[in-house]
Parts: sequence; structure tokens; C-alpha cells
Amino acid sequence: MIRQIIHKEILENLLSFRFILSLVLILLLFAVGGFVFVGKYRQQSSDYWEKTNENLGGLKEQSRQLYRLAFYRQNIWRKPKPLALCAEGFEKSLPNCFTFDIFSSDLPEIKGRGNFTLSHFSNIDWAFIVSVILSFLALVFTYDSVSGEKEDGTLRQVLANTIPRHEVLLGKYLGVLLTIGIPLFIGLLVSLIIVVVSNAAVISGLDWLKILSIVLVSFLYLSIFILLGMFVSGRTAYPANSMVILLLIWVVIVILIPSFGRIISEVSGKAPNPAELERKLAEVSTEIWSNSERYGERAGNASGDLSWPGNNPPARARLKNALTDAQNQAREDHHNKMLAQAFTGRSLTCFSPTVIYQRASEAVAGTGINRCVNLREQIKEYQANLKEYIRSKDTEDPQSLHLLFPEGYLVGAWRAISHNPVDFATVPKFQERDLAMGQSLKLAIWDIGLLALFNLVFFAAAFVSFLKYDVR
Amino acid sequence: MIWKIAKKEFLLNLMTFKFAVGTILSMVLMAVFVPILAKAYQERLKVYDQNVAYNEGELHKVVVYKNITPTIYRQPSVLAVFSEGLQKQLGNSATIQYNEVPEINAAAANHYLSIFSVFDASLIFKIVISVLALLLAYDAISGERERGTLRLMLSNTAARYQVLLGKLLAGLLVLVVAVTIAFVLGLVILLCLPMVDLAGSDWIRIGLMYLASLVLTATMYNLGLLFSCLAKRSAISLVLGLFLWIIFAVVIPNASVYLATQIRPVEPEDKINRQIASLRRDAQREFVTELKRSGRSYMSGDEEVSDVSGGGFGHGYLRSTTETHIHNELINCSIGVPIKIKYADKYAEVEYGYLRGLFDQTRLANNISRSSPICLYENVMSALAGTDMASVQHFIDAVKTHRKDIIEYMRSRTNNFGLAIFFTPCTEEEIKTRPRTDDAPPLDLRDLPQFSYKGDMAATLRRVVPDLAFLILANVLFFAVSFAAFLGYDVR
Repeated sequence: MIRQIIHKEILENLLSFRFILSLVLILLLFAVGGFVFVGKYRQQSSDYWEKTNENLGGLKEQSRQLYRLAFYRQNIWRKPKPLALCAEGFEKSLPNCFTFDIFSSDLPEIKGRGNFTLSHFSNIDWAFIVSVILSFLALVFTYDSVSGEKEDGTLRQVLANTIPRHEVLLGKYLGVLLTIGIPLFIGLLVSLIIVVVSNAAVISGLDWLKILSIVLVSFLYLSIFILLGMFVSGRTAYPANSMVILLLIWVVIVILIPSFGRIISEVSGKAPNPAELERKLAEVSTEIWSNSERYGERAGNASGDLSWPGNNPPARARLKNALTDAQNQAREDHHNKMLAQAFTGRSLTCFSPTVIYQRASEAVAGTGINRCVNLREQIKEYQANLKEYIRSKDTEDPQSLHLLFPEGYLVGAWRAISHNPVDFATVPKFQERDLAMGQSLKLAIWDIGLLALFNLVFFAAAFVSFLKYDVR
Repeated sequence: MIWKIAKKEFLLNLMTFKFAVGTILSMVLMAVFVPILAKAYQERLKVYDQNVAYNEGELHKVVVYKNITPTIYRQPSVLAVFSEGLQKQLGNSATIQYNEVPEINAAAANHYLSIFSVFDASLIFKIVISVLALLLAYDAISGERERGTLRLMLSNTAARYQVLLGKLLAGLLVLVVAVTIAFVLGLVILLCLPMVDLAGSDWIRIGLMYLASLVLTATMYNLGLLFSCLAKRSAISLVLGLFLWIIFAVVIPNASVYLATQIRPVEPEDKINRQIASLRRDAQREFVTELKRSGRSYMSGDEEVSDVSGGGFGHGYLRSTTETHIHNELINCSIGVPIKIKYADKYAEVEYGYLRGLFDQTRLANNISRSSPICLYENVMSALAGTDMASVQHFIDAVKTHRKDIIEYMRSRTNNFGLAIFFTPCTEEEIKTRPRTDDAPPLDLRDLPQFSYKGDMAATLRRVVPDLAFLILANVLFFAVSFAAFLGYDVR
């Protein structure tokens, strides 16, 4: 009997006006998203390779003398990912350039073809289409699932049969799920075909697995809205009323609550202030320079001529290292405060399924703010590796003073680090490592669990309200 | 007759479930949003006061004229509570230096916060109240036809146009009630909070914001009415209305920006670096030529000098110096600084070439987005709140003028950069009794030109009026089409 109900629901929906409109809109959005992704990915890839090769070229230049490797400011750019098709994670507004040398790193910046006068916009990635448009359509399909049938008079006729109420509900749910699944599925296929045919991005086997997981999570998200629609429909007697309530709930969940996150951290007064960072850096610098004797005699004065009696290389090295460490710490604190702001905002708005879904799809696709954080950690590891490499290569040279400190002019003049050339092939070069599938799923597991919980809650609510529904 | 129909419709609509739910929701949201937004404004005001005080303090520490590099901050606008615009993206300060022209720049803010979208009180009008307008209008005609009351009404002596006009009037009045309640509530909450006080021009802006909200709501109501007159069943008009609403509210704002980045892409920033590097070389060459022309030459001799910190704004200054060094440095300054000032304008031109590309892209996005009434409303609101790009540009232009004033002041006080006080406080006798370790006295800057800035109301109005006119035009257009459709509507 349940199969017949599903069959009837699907057919009824397929021939309706709203289905045709939805199909057209969804296909258009997926197609446009696919085309624009291909164009952008090509351009981003060419920019990325150009910049990375420039960086490597510079590194090779510097490997002529070991000490210059230490002071070369490398620029690492964020690599464009093919899975940005599924969940871009706002990456066009997140920092994409990390500048550093082995002693310190700048705060990450946005460089390249960005336009800061343009208002931020959501990319038409799958996450946007599913979380905003398809959830809206789910409500459009289910707002009259119970109350509309009651108005038409067909609900009492169905229930006059031997079919139990929960089977009717389940049948409706599966019917609408399959109905929404059709435009979603066709849209996904269109998008994937566009990307694969254009040969712009290489989608590996692991990526296909991730795409499949994202599709499953999307279905989980959409079913929340279907159940919500059926719940509200089962509480009212007129579909017009349920439409009103559902629309307003949708507006609050999908549009208002996610934007809320931004303002929360500003209100708590812990917003990091760039002017304050500058002041802190200046303060730290003044404090260390005025107490320069702490690091050894005459640490504050230095001349490039090693034979000058006023020089005290080890003390100077200690002073400069202490200064850089203190400044790095100040910058790190500032950066952590910025991250904390963003993450707190997101966690506080977690009672909207849209935010949970966005976070889950970003975690599985390996994009978004988590990726920026991960990239920064990897860069710090690389910095330490390169420093070790330089230090170990330096011990091979008996002529150098074996002092590694961040003052380029003096290190060069004093031969504090060896001036010998090194083989470029042995120099560690930075490579971004993607997260393994297991790790990405681990990040997303809480969110997937939360989505499943929402599903259960709404299903129970719909079930209970339908059981007591007056069908006359 | 129109009035009778309007009165009946008005009372009918006022008593419905959807109106109650919509109004209560917008009131609740206002009550939740406005305190939070106001608190954020207070934090921003605090930071602004801190920065301005720090700036003043540093000005009192300045020891030599070349260290006069104040940073001018733009006061946060309280009306940004209603419309945030580009406030978070554009920088609100500009530093004055003689060798660099200030320009619009990106805010050095937390980039990670871009994962959230814009959040302000106009969201309530753009989203909640426009949906409410649509919900009130979608069954105005088709619903009455389904219920059978439309043919009863028209079998009277009521003309068709009277019925339609009556419905329009009633719907607009109901929505005026909703918009007014929400707006006034937000305003009252805002005024109750400390640190908020509004000037006369602010009230004019608030009045215009209210007007704009009314016009937007009327547009959405007319749209719903149009679909109601075109469709036979209310379900169809509802679905059509909702689709169009989602296109207007969600798809067009994002798509217009998207399309603009594709149609008019921006060159990467480093392209202008080469031009600037070559200009720097030109500046060097010009310095050398000027030096030869002036006939002066560097002395050689003892150049042991000592720099100390604490000269204001984080710069140091020359505390002890020799005659030779002063002579050489005077040559550098009297010839070099005017050249630097001239070349600052040239660098600014190159930068502006790059910025013009960005502005063109933004303007294209704005023009494409004008096809959605909600985006037109957004433009009006952010212009009135002083958070759109043109307002920031106006501020930066004022800072540019102030910079010229300060450069003139420096020029007059140092005899066209020819006096030593430009870079060192050492006097003739002090050169003989060096090295000195005490702090030099700060300069007397009481007659330094002060910066004062007032928002430009006339320019704002000039920006706002075309968009408002577009909205009103859209209203008239929608109503005209629904009028034509209703005249031929089958009421049985």
C-alpha cells in the first residue's frame, strides 16, 4: 500500500506547475554554476601555477648561498580545489596568500584578482543551491501535503482505507523526497558533466567518494525541510496558513540565523583591533631594545665589520631572536583571536540546519575556513623543517659562526651562517597535503549527527501531529 | 465606492493570521537585532575614540616636522544599524604622509568573518516584510474568485477599476501599519540606548529610509497583485510570486556580482608594480638632475649621528648630529621632498588606474542588480546610512584636501623644507655639545590645520533619488499591467 501512495505522490507532483518551474530553475542554476566554476578554476589554476613557479624560481636563486635561503620571503598561495564545485566555503573572501621566511610569518592576506569594493556574494556552488533554493522548494512541495489534501477532501478518503496513518505519512515523505531528488540529481549530473567534459579540473577517485558523501549529506539536509513542511502542514487546517508559517520559518533559519554569527563576536567586545596589534608590536620592540643589556654586553650595538670590538655576535643573536619571538607571539595571538571570532560566531548559530550543512559540506570537501587553518599549520611545520635543514647544512661549514638570527645584513656580513651553495633538489619545498577521507569525515561527523538528530525530531513531531489530525 | 471596498479589505486583512504572524515576527526580530547592532556600534565608537585620542597624544609628542603623520579616522555612522552596506569591507581611516596620497583601501579587518553574510536591520524589511506583502496580495483577486465573492462584488454597480483600486489602497494601508510598527520599534530601541544621539540631518535620512521601506513593500504588494490578476487559482499565483521573490531576494544579488566578475574581470594588483618601480627610477633621476642644477654639493666629513625613538607616531628622529650631516641632509630635504610630493601624485594616478578597474566592476554589478527591487532598496538604504562606497570616497577626498593643507603648513614652517627643524631638533650650539641623550621638546603645533568633516547631504540625495524613482516606476508598471489584466479577468 505504501508503494501505491509513493507512486501517487510522485505522479501528482511531476505533473504540477511547481515541479516544472523548480526543474527549470534548478537546472539553470546548476548549469550556470558549472560553467562559471570551469572558467574560474582555469584562471585560478593558471594564476596559482604562475605564482608558485615564481616562488620556486626565487628559492632556487637563493640556494646559491645557504644564508640567503633563511631570509628569502616565500609566498605560498592557496591551491584551487576541484571540490570547490560542491562547497566553495567562501574561499574567495578568505586569505589566499601566506608570506613568510623561516623566522616569522605575516598575517595571511587576500591578494590577486579580488575586488574589495564589491559586496560579498555567495558562489553558486552546490551547497548554496541545496541549502537555499532546494530547501525553499522542499517547503513549496510539502506545505499542502496534509492540509491541502484535507481541503480537497482526499485525505479522509485515503484514511478510510485499511492503511495506517504512519504509512500514509511515510509514503508522502518518500514521495516528496524522490520528487525533489529528481531535479537535484539531474542538476548534479549536468554540473558534473560540464566539469568533466571541459577537462579543466582533475577529479581523483577520492574526490568522487567525497562528492558522493556530499550528495548524501544534502539529502539528509533536504529531508529536514520536508519533514518540517509536513509537520507544519499537519498542525493547520488551511494550506495558506501553513505556507505563511513555513515561509517565515524558512526565512529565519536559512537567511537570518546564519548572518547572525557575524555580529555576535563584535558585541562581546573581543574583536581584534589591527591598530592595537601595531601598538603592541611597537611596545614589544621598544621594551626589548631598551633592555638590550639583558641579552649580553653590547647586544644593542652592532657593526657589519666583524672585527669591530663593540660586536658581540651571540648576544646580538639572542636579542634579535627574542624580539622576533615576541613579535611572532603578538601576531599569533591576534590571529588566534580573529579565528576564534569566526568559529564562535559559527558555533553559536549552530541551531540552524543551514549552518550545520554548510560546515559539514566544507569539512568533507576540504575547503573553507578549516582549510585555511590547516594550511597555516602545514606552513608552520614547513618553516620548522626548513630551519632545521639550514641549521644542519650549516654545521658542515667550519667557517661560519653557526648563529641563526633574523638580521639579514649582519648574518651575511659576519658569515654567521655558511655562504656555501646548496643543491636545490635537497631543499625542502612546500607541498599542501589534502586531508584523507577518514579525517574529513571525522571533522564532519558531529555535523552529520546533528542533521540526523534534526531529522528525527521533525519526524517525531510530524508523526505525532498527524496521528491526532482531524481529517474531516 | 473605492473607499468602501478599501475599508472592508483593510479590516479583513488586518484580522488575518498571516498578518499577525508576519508583524509579530518582524517586531520580535527588530527587538532582537537592534540592541545587538547598537552594541556593535558602541564598540566601534569606543575604538574610534581610542584611536582619535591616541592620534592626539602622538601629535603632542612630535619633535620634528617630518614626523607629522596623523591618521584621520571616519566616525562610525549610527544609521549603519539600519543598513550596513560596505562598512565592514572598506577602511575607515587614512594616514597623512607627505610622500603618499591616501586612497580608498580595504579594511584591515578580520578576513575570516567573510564566511558570514551582511547583517543589519534592513534585512527585516527586505526579507520578512516583503514576504508578508506577497502573502497578503497573492489571493487578493484569485482567492476571491475561488471563494465566489468576486462575482458577487462585480455584479453590483462597482466598476472593475474601483474594486482593484480599493484592494490596492487597503493592502498598502495594512502594510503601512506593519512597516511603521517595525520601523518605529527599531527607532525607539535605538534611541533608548546610551551613546546614540541623532543630528538633524540624521532625522532626514531616517525619514527617507522609512519612505524607501514603504515603497519597497508597495512594490512587492503590487507584484503579488499582478500575479493574482493573471492566475486563475491562488496556488499558481502564490508559487509564481514566491519564485520571483526568491529570484529577487537571493538569486539576482548574488548573480549580478558573479556576472560582473566574469564580464569585466580585474587585473591582478602586481601589474601596477612595474609602473610604480619605473616611476621611482624617474624620481631618482629627477633628484639627481635637480641637485646638479642647484649647484650644491655634499660635504664630506664626520657623519656620526644618533637616532632615537619617541618622535611621535612611532617614528624616531635625529638627536645628535654633525655639521656635515646637517648640511647633506638639508640638501636631501630641500630638493628631495618637493620631488617626493610631486611624485606622490604620480604614484596615486597609477594606483587610481587600478582602482578604476575595481570601481567599474562594482558599478557593473550594481547596474545588473538594479533589476531587482530589493537591490534598489539596498542601494537607497546604504546611501542614506552613509555606508556605501561614494560616502567613503567623499571622506577620502576630504582627507586628501587636509593633506595638502598640512603639507603647506610644513612648507611654511620649514622655509620650503630648507630648515633643519624638518628632520632634527638640534640647534647650532647643540651640535657642539653632543652626544645628547635627553628628549627634545615637542613642537608647538597649536596652529596645525584641524580636520573637520561633514557628510554631504545633497550628493546623497542625488544618489538616492534615481533609485527611489525606479522603485516607484516599478510600482506603477506592475499596477498598470494588473489593471489591464483585471479588466479582462474571468470572474466566474
